[in-house]
Amino acid sequence: MPPKEESSKVTRRSTRSSASVTVENSEPIESHTPTIDDLTFGEESITIDAVLSNFPGRRSQIFDFIRLMGPLDCPTLPIMIYGGASTGKTSVVLQVLRHLNRPFVYSSCRTCYNPRILFESILNQLLLHRKCSLNGYSSAKRCDKPSDFVNLLREALSSVIKTLESTSGTSRSDKPDEKPMGKMVYLILDNVDLIRDWDKGTIILQFLFSLYTVLKMPQLGIILISGLPPDVYYSNMGYTDPIPLYFPEYSEEDLRQIFLRNQPNRKLYSAFLDVVLKPFCRVTRRVEELSTTFSLLFRKFCEPLDDLGISPNEDMKRRLYSHLKPLIAHCLNEIFRVSSHPHDGETRGERRQKASYSSENREELEILDFHMSTSAKFLLLSAFLASRNPATLDASTFDSTGGMDNRKRKRKASEKSMEKKEIAEQEAVMKGPGSFPLERLLAIFQCIASVGDSSFGEEDEEEENTTGYDKENNNLMSDILLQVSSLCDANFLIKSGSCPLEGSIRYRSMVSEDLAQKVAKSLSFPLSKYLYRR
Amino acid sequence: MAPSGTVADPPQCSTTDSFNSSDTAENDIRPFFVLHKASSGNHNGKLTGIVKSKRRIESPSPKIAKRSEVESVEEEDGQFFSTLRFKVFETVWSKIEKTIEDVLRNSNSKVFSGIHDWIRESFESIISSGALKLSEAVRSYPVLTQASSKQLLTAMVLTRNLEMVDDLLTFEELELHLKSQGCHVAKLSSMDFSAKSGVGGCLRGLLRQFVMPTVDVADVTILASWYRENKNHENPVVIIVDDTERCCGPVLSDLILILSEWAIKVPIFLIMGVSTAHDAPRKILSVNALQRLCATRFTLSSPAERMDAVLKAVFLKPCSGFTVSHKVALFMRSYFLCQDGTLTSFVRTLKIACLQHFSLEPLSIMLEHFCHDGVNQLSGEGTELLTEATMKHAFDLPSVTRNKITRSTFEMLPHFLLDLQRMPNPWSIVVLCLYEAGKFDKLRLLDIFCEILDPEARYLKYFSPSEIVNSQSHNSGRNNVIRRVLRKLRDLSPSQLSSMLKSWENLTAEFTEINDKVIELHPFMRAVEAAGQRQGLPNSPKKHASRSNSKLEKELKAMTDKVATVIEFMLREYMKPVESVPFHEILCFKNVDKLQSALLGDPRGRIQLDLLESHDILHCVCCSQRGTTLLPSMHDTSILYKLAQEHADVINLHDWYQSFKTILIPRSSKAKQKSKSSSKSKKRKEICEEPEAPAEALIQARFCRAVMELQITGLIRMPSKRRPDFVQRVAFGS
Repeated sequence: MPPKEESSKVTRRSTRSSASVTVENSEPIESHTPTIDDLTFGEESITIDAVLSNFPGRRSQIFDFIRLMGPLDCPTLPIMIYGGASTGKTSVVLQVLRHLNRPFVYSSCRTCYNPRILFESILNQLLLHRKCSLNGYSSAKRCDKPSDFVNLLREALSSVIKTLESTSGTSRSDKPDEKPMGKMVYLILDNVDLIRDWDKGTIILQFLFSLYTVLKMPQLGIILISGLPPDVYYSNMGYTDPIPLYFPEYSEEDLRQIFLRNQPNRKLYSAFLDVVLKPFCRVTRRVEELSTTFSLLFRKFCEPLDDLGISPNEDMKRRLYSHLKPLIAHCLNEIFRVSSHPHDGETRGERRQKASYSSENREELEILDFHMSTSAKFLLLSAFLASRNPATLDASTFDSTGGMDNRKRKRKASEKSMEKKEIAEQEAVMKGPGSFPLERLLAIFQCIASVGDSSFGEEDEEEENTTGYDKENNNLMSDILLQVSSLCDANFLIKSGSCPLEGSIRYRSMVSEDLAQKVAKSLSFPLSKYLYRR
Repeated sequence: MAPSGTVADPPQCSTTDSFNSSDTAENDIRPFFVLHKASSGNHNGKLTGIVKSKRRIESPSPKIAKRSEVESVEEEDGQFFSTLRFKVFETVWSKIEKTIEDVLRNSNSKVFSGIHDWIRESFESIISSGALKLSEAVRSYPVLTQASSKQLLTAMVLTRNLEMVDDLLTFEELELHLKSQGCHVAKLSSMDFSAKSGVGGCLRGLLRQFVMPTVDVADVTILASWYRENKNHENPVVIIVDDTERCCGPVLSDLILILSEWAIKVPIFLIMGVSTAHDAPRKILSVNALQRLCATRFTLSSPAERMDAVLKAVFLKPCSGFTVSHKVALFMRSYFLCQDGTLTSFVRTLKIACLQHFSLEPLSIMLEHFCHDGVNQLSGEGTELLTEATMKHAFDLPSVTRNKITRSTFEMLPHFLLDLQRMPNPWSIVVLCLYEAGKFDKLRLLDIFCEILDPEARYLKYFSPSEIVNSQSHNSGRNNVIRRVLRKLRDLSPSQLSSMLKSWENLTAEFTEINDKVIELHPFMRAVEAAGQRQGLPNSPKKHASRSNSKLEKELKAMTDKVATVIEFMLREYMKPVESVPFHEILCFKNVDKLQSALLGDPRGRIQLDLLESHDILHCVCCSQRGTTLLPSMHDTSILYKLAQEHADVINLHDWYQSFKTILIPRSSKAKQKSKSSSKSKKRKEICEEPEAPAEALIQARFCRAVMELQITGLIRMPSKRRPDFVQRVAFGS
């Protein structure tokens, strides 16, 4: 790179600092009008070494990408960058553009969740338009058709390029420090794979892939970033395929480098990584995922230490490891952790203390921690049973005489038929919980609710009281349909079929056996007795 | 066919017109009529009774009031008294309602401030980590910092109740609370997260609440630009989703992913209400979205805890004077535990009870004075209202006749009322003392309350010596709460005992007679403590085994015996159940049957019954006297349903239609079939036959509509693909 381009940061910095001064104002939006400079990354450009050191293990990809972009003002064919989540695709692209100081437009298909927003977001950036209260948060141009977009894009691009040409021709020459911006604009589209789920997504995808050929403007470089390989998009539509660039998953060594980058005490952290990196790499290599887990674990790791600046010796490492070890296995299986706020923890602690007064702590874990009415509990159990048990066995399960018959028959079954049955059962397990009509649910409910009432309920005591009202089944039954709907709302039941009048709705219980057992326990209902097993 | 001359006694004048008018007009009203009848006709007919939201409680109750007012018009100036009673009801109920609201607000305030603290702390740490420049904050590409920056701070608020109803209000209050603290708050419900409108729908909802009512396209960049304007960025942005389980999972996941992309530029706090377990989001959100959540848990008080607080405030603390009898309390308890389990429904039950009390009990107007604190008002204004009729009523009350109080003690009435007013005081103190003791066994005030109301005071038998001996045997049901309290007392550790004594002392401070007894316990307590210290052992209740503890054990035993005697004393002396006090009917609602029928409808059964006996409701002369025979003038749906009774669980549509048709077609063609019917009906029929036989198309249309109505009421199911010409009967019997 020519030395004269390296250095007119002074003026540029002054313009930016004036901008940052206006930010302090109460009404910043009015004083800040976007300029063509906003199309570049907007911070000081960085050297290639900084880029490389920022992305350990991405050296070849960075150089490939720079090579594909070509030298200044050189037309670029569309590039598709693909690779798994959290492999540095977006960051590398942005940092390289920052390094090259070239103007670009970025739109993520995550944020822009439909074609209109996507198109308008691109146009807004090119037209240097910003949504604000003054313009009623509206876009510069209304555009939701691909054909309109092509026209508007061409207009916007040519005006931008005209400005770029004029600035690079004149005013930039007196800023030798600055790298030239060139006369190219790059269009970065992130998360392209999401477009496939849009409605009419394939049409939009084909349009984006053919945009380069349709537009016929070599000044626009298109960079697509995708989580999926290019093969999934290809169709024989006759456009130029983008040049693929693959970002592989990080290796364990790369990850170590990445995590060691900004650590104040590298020795301590390295000791920590020795312990955790290997097991976690087997589960996931996503930096994003690992970094949240590691930050939590590192806090635990450091707990026994008073001084975080020390470099640990072997003995201490071992001690810290033994401190951390029980947590690792737990964290390996968890994606979603809920911590409790100190305030909340206090009240929970109180409760636990109270509980320990009365009974064993172990039991406490098996108690439902939310409230359900008795009838809802019975309903939940009957749904669970209806989903697990084959419908043909209902009569025998809930009728004592039928049960006997069934058992005899089972004993007599030949080995071959048993085998067949086993296979069928495995299939059933693979299929997940079965579905059932409402009537079956209600029938089972009536059976088990009456059983529960007669043998375990508090009815015996109640009768003695002669309370004047009969707390019986019809009482339990009265608003059972309401309970069904609230179970559905809580995702314990899933309904299939949409029209409530159609009548052919089938339900499916989504309750884990754990929860069902807990509920059964709270009712002291013998669930396992009714559950059909091989 | 319009039964134009047959309307005998039209109770609703609006319907008469339509009956008299043309055929179509008559048919217009019918479907509405059937459905409407089921909802409000009877006390039972309560489709709306199971309404969930608190707002709509009002709808069924005034009807009941009016109806019962009508029932009790025998009094000469009944009108005056019934309006007066209604007024008093309003004051009493507004007082109760306000009390409940306050209690609920207090129960949440701790969690609310916890949430706010959490938001403040996190927001400050975000701010301190470096503010973004405007151009950075609104541009489309992500801020490149470390990977964990995409985390979305989330509070999981566990409501600990399967039903959401109670907590709708809670989240509304949370919204207000946070808004008053300066946060930008938007509240989304599951309605915003529908699969149909997708993520655009909920973003639009957000922008509508934050930015402005009309946005052209719902785009997050708008939120980002808005946040940077007008000092908005000095406060955090909070989004409340109150019923997470009900949301459409993919849409919520999308929203979380989008917001997390912008998390640095706009510090967003997500508050998710979770009604079941805290891992419920795991079931509905995608893995990617789950990773983005940095969740913190907050727990609201459980419905049972809130219920206890409400009970305490309404019945045990001086509130309105209104109270319920043992049976009603038991019913309310079982309704709460078995049926609905929401506080909202409990409050509704209470309201219905209160309203029925006022509509049934003429003397309930006296309750007004309990609402006001002044005692002397009773003698002045209060007795003024006691006309001859009400006085007669007062001395006919069963509690009065039972106690052999006669008219001669006329002047005594104010005195008795004063007594009533004072009466709950020591009573509620004792209940609260029991509750304190029961807390160690996690007993619910609800259970204690129900048992203590027992008019026969059966709990006293637990003090008989034999019972104490047996108390270890495990035959107690869940209902013998007081026995459990007594048994638990013997297991308490010294520290628990002393804390209990302290709370007893506070509770009884206003009532010297009990307070003295409690204070008498102190020397024993001191002895126990001294013994405990001498042993230098931790206060553990179960370590009786070692011999060195024998001293402590002995002291403890003496102590618990003493406490038990104090409890017994309290129960014997002061636990006069409300129902044994004269004139208690003025305060106490007892009619459990009325309450039950008002609360638990049997809508399906009611609909079937009404369909079978439609003539009773329509008051149509020609049908009512016919008994079982079907007449063309009857209601279409009712005819069809009666016809359906002849079928098994499947009905051939064609047969059904044919028999429907034969009934509708005038008998002139087939008069012979019907010749058995009485001459009276024949005459009627002639009147009816003025319009000619309905056209085939009309019959078909009426048939279709009637079938549809049966389907809507849930009595039949439409033909399936496999058997296209059969409908299935769903409900049998009633």
